[in-house]
Amino acid sequence: MDKDERRSLGDRFVDEILDTVETPIALLDGDGSILRFNHACETLTDYNENDVVGKKVWDFLIIDDEIEAVRQVFSKTQTENVPTHFTNYWKTKGGKHRLIQWSNKTVRMPKSSTVGVLATGVDITHLKSVEHSLKESQEYWRSTINASPISIITINDSGLILTFSKAAEETFGYSEKELVGQNINVLMPEPHHTRHDDYIRHYLETGEKRIIGKARRVKAKRRDGSTFPAMLHVSEFSDGIRIFVGFIEDLSEKEEIEQRLDETNFQLRHADRVGSMGEIATSIAHELNQPLTAAASLIGAVSIRLKKGECPECSQSIPLLNDAVSEIRRASEIIQQMREFVRKQKTAKSLYDINKVVEDAGALAIIGADADGIEVKWEMTPEAGEVELDRIQIQQVVTNLIRNAIDAMQGAPNRVLKISTARDNEYITVSISDTGPGLENAVKNKLFEPFVSSKENGMGVGLSISKSIIDAHQGEIIATNQKSGGCVFTFKLPAGANDRLVNHE
Amino acid sequence: MTDSSITNDRAVFLVDDDVAVRRGVAALLSAAEYETTTFKSGEEFLSALPDLELANAVMLVDVCMPGIQGLELQEQLNKDGVDLPVIVMTAHGDIPMAVRAMQNGAIDFLQKPFTVDEVTTALERALSVSPRRQSPLKDASPELRSHHQSLTPRENDVFREIVGGNTNKEIARILAISPRTVEVHRQKIMSKMEAENLAELVRMAVTLNIGE
Repeated sequence: MDKDERRSLGDRFVDEILDTVETPIALLDGDGSILRFNHACETLTDYNENDVVGKKVWDFLIIDDEIEAVRQVFSKTQTENVPTHFTNYWKTKGGKHRLIQWSNKTVRMPKSSTVGVLATGVDITHLKSVEHSLKESQEYWRSTINASPISIITINDSGLILTFSKAAEETFGYSEKELVGQNINVLMPEPHHTRHDDYIRHYLETGEKRIIGKARRVKAKRRDGSTFPAMLHVSEFSDGIRIFVGFIEDLSEKEEIEQRLDETNFQLRHADRVGSMGEIATSIAHELNQPLTAAASLIGAVSIRLKKGECPECSQSIPLLNDAVSEIRRASEIIQQMREFVRKQKTAKSLYDINKVVEDAGALAIIGADADGIEVKWEMTPEAGEVELDRIQIQQVVTNLIRNAIDAMQGAPNRVLKISTARDNEYITVSISDTGPGLENAVKNKLFEPFVSSKENGMGVGLSISKSIIDAHQGEIIATNQKSGGCVFTFKLPAGANDRLVNHE
Repeated sequence: MTDSSITNDRAVFLVDDDVAVRRGVAALLSAAEYETTTFKSGEEFLSALPDLELANAVMLVDVCMPGIQGLELQEQLNKDGVDLPVIVMTAHGDIPMAVRAMQNGAIDFLQKPFTVDEVTTALERALSVSPRRQSPLKDASPELRSHHQSLTPRENDVFREIVGGNTNKEIARILAISPRTVEVHRQKIMSKMEAENLAELVRMAVTLNIGE
C-alpha cells in the first residue's frame, strides 16, 4: 500500500469514525464556513452535510443573541492558537434550540493555509432542563417552607443546623445565615441546652424515640435570651445522612389570649358573686330594716308609757330600753353597710373604648351560642369611642344581658342575637336584642327588682344588679319589646361623664 | 321632747307597706299621744284623703314602697295643692333620697329605725309649720347664711359630699384626703352650722340649695 493509498484509507477511516460517533463534530474553515458536518450534527440539526458545507455557522446555526459571542470565541481560538470551551445554542432546521457545550481546537488548513477550528460538542439541552427544574423544585419547597407560619428547622445527626425557615428567623431573632452550621442547642434554655447532644446520641445508639413523632410543649430561647412557650414536633428523614426536622409553633400569643380570657372570666365571676351578695344584702337590708323599725318603735312606745308611770322599777328600765333601741339601730347600720359596700363601690373607673369592653365581654358570653343555633350579629359603631366606666362592672352587665337574651331564645324558631353600640352627643348606647318571645307586661314593670325572675332556676338578681351598676354610672337601662318580636335591652352611659364629682341628681 | 306642748288634737297619717312597722310606729305615736291613722299604701291614702281632716296633721311616709312610692305620693299632693306637711322615712344612709324628698318640699326625714326623740322632734317641727305650710326651708335665714359663709372652701367640699350621701371613707377618696381629716372637717361643719345631727345638716343644705 503506497502513501496515497494509506492516506485515502485513513481519510475514509476518519470519515467512518466521524459519522459513527454520537458526538457532534464540525470542522470549520478559517472564515467560519463549514467543511465537515458529521452525522451526529445532521441528527442534531436536521440539516444535511451537503446543504451546509461552505456556509458560515453564524449565518444560520447560531441564535441572534449569541452570534457576536460565538464569533469572538472563534477568532480567539484561531489567534491565540489555544483550545477553548464554550456553551451556546444551535438552531435546528425546524427552529428548535439545542444547547451544546463545545470544545474547540485549532487545525491548520493545508489548502487555504489558514487556521480552521475543529469543534466537538456535547448536547446538554436535556441536562440543563433537568438542572433547571431541580432548581425550580428546590425553590418551590424553600418558598413553601418559608411561607409556613410555623418555624421549620432541619439539623443533621450531630445537631448542627442545616436550614432555618423565615418563620424561625422571625420567632427566634436569628438569621438563617448566622445559624447554619451552629448547634441547635443555642435555641434552648437549660437544662436542654447542655443535654441536647446526649439526647441525639442516645437516639442514634438505641433507636429509642423520646420526642420524634410526638408533639411536645417546650421552652424555647430567643436571640435576646428571653424564653417562650412552644409546641415542638420532630420528624426524621434520610437524605444519605439522617436529617431531623423540627416544627416549632410559638404559643406565647395564644397563651396570653387564653390567660386574658381566663382572667376576664374570673373577674366577671367574682364580680357576679360580689354583685349577687350585694343585691341580696340590699334586699335583706330593706326587708330586715322593717321589723327592726317595728321593734324599735314598740320599745319606744313602752318607754314612753313607763315614763308616765311612777314606779322606781319603771324609771330604771327606761335606760335599758334605750340601749335596746341603740342595739337595734346598730344592727340596721351593719346591714346598710353591707348594702352600701356594693352599691357605692365606685371602683376602678377609667376611660375605656366601649366597643372593646363590649366585645371582650361578648366573646365570653356567646360561647356555646353557635351550638344553640343562635346567629350572633355585631353592629359596633366605630365612633362610639371612649367613656369613663368600671370595666368589670359594665362587662358584667353586658354578659348578663347577653346570657338572658340567649336563654330567652331557647326554643324560638328564629334565633338572632344582635349586639350593637352607638353614640350621640349625650350618651353612649349599648343594645342587646333577641328574637325570643319578648317580655310579658306583668314582668315588665318589676324587671329590675331583685328576686323577680321568669327563669325556672333564676335567683332574679341579674337585672337588678345590672340596674344598680348602670345607676352608679349615672346611666339608664331600659327594656322594650320590639315590633318584630323579641325584646331589646338598652343601656346608656353619659358620654362626657369624666367628672367624678357628679351630683346624685 | 316638750311634754307640756302635747295636746290631743295632733294627727299623724302613717303610710308604710309593712304591717309590723305600722303597728310598732302607731304604738309609739299613740303612747306619745298622737292620733294616728295608718295606711298600707299610697293608693289607700289617696283614696281616703277627701275624708281626712288635714288641720294639725302630718304625713309620715316610707320612701320605699311598692306601687306609689313616697316621693311620688308627695309630688301628687303638691300637684293637688294639698296642704299637708310631709316627713319621709328612709333607710339609714340613704341621704340622697332624703335630699330629694326635702327638695320636693318634705319638712323632714327620719332614718329607720328611729328613736322616740327623733320622731317626736320631727313631728313637732312639722306641726309648727302647719296648717298654712309656708315651708321654713324655702328661705335661708341670714343667720344660716352667715354660718354657711364661715365654712372654709374645703369644709364646703366636705359638706357637699356629706349631703351627697357619702361616708367619710368615700369622701376621703373623692377629695383625696385622709378619712381622719374628713372626720375633723365634719365636726367643724356641724359646730359652725350649729347642727345637732345629720338630719338637721341635710335640712340646712336643702335650704341653702347645696346638693342640687
